[in-house]
Amino acid sequence: MAVAELTSAAGSIAPRRRRAWAAVSRIGGGLAILIPILLLSSLITYSLGALSNSNPAATILGQDAATPAAVAKLDKALGLDKPLLVQYWDWLTQAVQGHLGTSYFTQIPVSQSIAQRLPVDLSIAILAVILAVLTGGTAGTVAAIRRGGWVDRAVTLVCSAVSTLPAFVVGIILVVLFAVVWRVLPANGYVGPSGGIVPWLQHIILPSLALSLQVSADIARQLRTSLVSVLEQDYIVGARVRGLPYRRILVRHALRNASGPALTILGNDFPIMLAGAVAAEAVFSLPGLGQLLLESAQTRDIPVVQGVLLVVSTFVIVINLVVNTTLNLLYRSSDGVSA
Amino acid sequence: MSERDRRTLTGSGSVLRLPSARIAVVIVAIVVVLAIFGSALAPQNPLAINASALFQGPSPHHLLGTDYLGRDVLSRLMAGTRLSVLTAFEAVGIGLVLGGPLGIATVFLGKWFDFGANRVADALMTLPYIFFAVAVTAALGNGLVQAMFAVGILLAPGFFRVTRAATLEYARAQYVEAAELLGASKLHVIRVHVVRKVLPNLAVMTATATAGALLAVSFLTFLGIGVQPPAPTWGGVLSSDLDYLNLSPWAPFIPGVLIAITVGALNTLADAFRDRTGPGTLTVADPVIKTHSTLTLEAADGRQPAA
Repeated sequence: MAVAELTSAAGSIAPRRRRAWAAVSRIGGGLAILIPILLLSSLITYSLGALSNSNPAATILGQDAATPAAVAKLDKALGLDKPLLVQYWDWLTQAVQGHLGTSYFTQIPVSQSIAQRLPVDLSIAILAVILAVLTGGTAGTVAAIRRGGWVDRAVTLVCSAVSTLPAFVVGIILVVLFAVVWRVLPANGYVGPSGGIVPWLQHIILPSLALSLQVSADIARQLRTSLVSVLEQDYIVGARVRGLPYRRILVRHALRNASGPALTILGNDFPIMLAGAVAAEAVFSLPGLGQLLLESAQTRDIPVVQGVLLVVSTFVIVINLVVNTTLNLLYRSSDGVSA
Repeated sequence: MSERDRRTLTGSGSVLRLPSARIAVVIVAIVVVLAIFGSALAPQNPLAINASALFQGPSPHHLLGTDYLGRDVLSRLMAGTRLSVLTAFEAVGIGLVLGGPLGIATVFLGKWFDFGANRVADALMTLPYIFFAVAVTAALGNGLVQAMFAVGILLAPGFFRVTRAATLEYARAQYVEAAELLGASKLHVIRVHVVRKVLPNLAVMTATATAGALLAVSFLTFLGIGVQPPAPTWGGVLSSDLDYLNLSPWAPFIPGVLIAITVGALNTLADAFRDRTGPGTLTVADPVIKTHSTLTLEAADGRQPAA
């Protein structure tokens, strides 16, 4: 790779243009994969409604008013009399425009309920990512620099302990410690950022922390492994021989090359974080997507269930793809067009 | 017993040489025994309410204390084990049966089938377990069996990927080529040369998947999916403890630790199996979208930038 870098640096403009093409084609390839996967996962999501043996029209009308004629009329109004694939296509074309139907019971548009709840989960997830990168990154780097020392051993031990602890158990431990025993943070509830930054942070810090621990353990372990192997490379030794300051070598040369696998983990752990956000919502009674899903699953409010599942899986697909494509571009474009 | 079988047996013996794996096996064995005999072994009736002994701490009479209705926590946890373990096995069984054979078959069924199966696996892997399980209960009815059926479907892509990757590796081996040249049928090759080799990788995946499934059951019961209130479950004990934190703040630690230890033991077993099968045998081929943490380490190892 060092050789590849030299050759590409010495190359003329032509390889650079070819590299740009490679980038474009890789993004295009990513989109080509994205669309069938989105179609498939939305089809699975939509089919859930058809799988249910519940009769939505009868449910909506209530037991007394559910005469066969009334049910047939409502089925027609809801489009439930059409073939499944036609229904799916109607639903999907509407969904692409941001219309996910209305709740069977409250008549509130599904997209509106989701838009109300999504910020809760996004706040938790984003803060959790920041916490995971900060703690996991620091722990992994320190462990790699002090390899074999007690810090390294402590990091390894804490990481393996943390990764066996389920997020919702960690969440409960945090509630007990911070909200019940020490009484420094609220045990539950949610205040949006409009209610003040500090109260907002106070309400999301514990759920985010619970959510971030496992990911930060993953990051620390992966970063330690790759950083250790990068620090042994000739070009690091070379940089030290040339007398560059260690901090600069670490940040500019080593971490930049070693962070790929850890970033991959971060991208791949996102679905786990989202699932964990439901856990956090339940433990901390936060009004998020998970609670919306639970409530609507209990009442068999199928449009809401489908909408939540569609939004969540789309988030997962898009974020995974963005992470993987970015990493491909970052780490493969430097070794020329061949990749 | 063939030479190879004997080697596999001594091989699994070497897994047990690790002390951590031995402890893990003991823990898993205890949980299995509790799953079978838990309700019979429980020292007290898990449903018996005792208004004069609410929120008691551990004592000789109640080894793990009592809950908000004065019920014996130890008995409730023991009696609740069966449902958790059975439904976890249900999910893992569905995942194994759907994913394993398909992962082997897809290698031999041609490019288009392989492409299609992989895209379906990709699509399934984008659905988070808990969300999907809860959504399925909306469609199929509020029951733990239905919810864990959904989890099983989502475990299938993992089994599929692992078997497919291993099969790809073994199906291209020279001895397979030699066997085919000698006139061995495809079924013979699969049976003799592929299935046996894939088994260790499947063992790793099964242990990991069981850990994931148990976690999912605990969490689903914590959310109150599919269980009527007086019936004891691990997650149910945890969630009722959470409602009375001010009265007994340390109560949730008991079911929490139980869940964590069981899941941890299964993960340790998976690691022990993985160490034995050796790194590199469990790589994910063609990882377009990877979403499950069990696979990410291997996948990430494979793509370490060369500097």
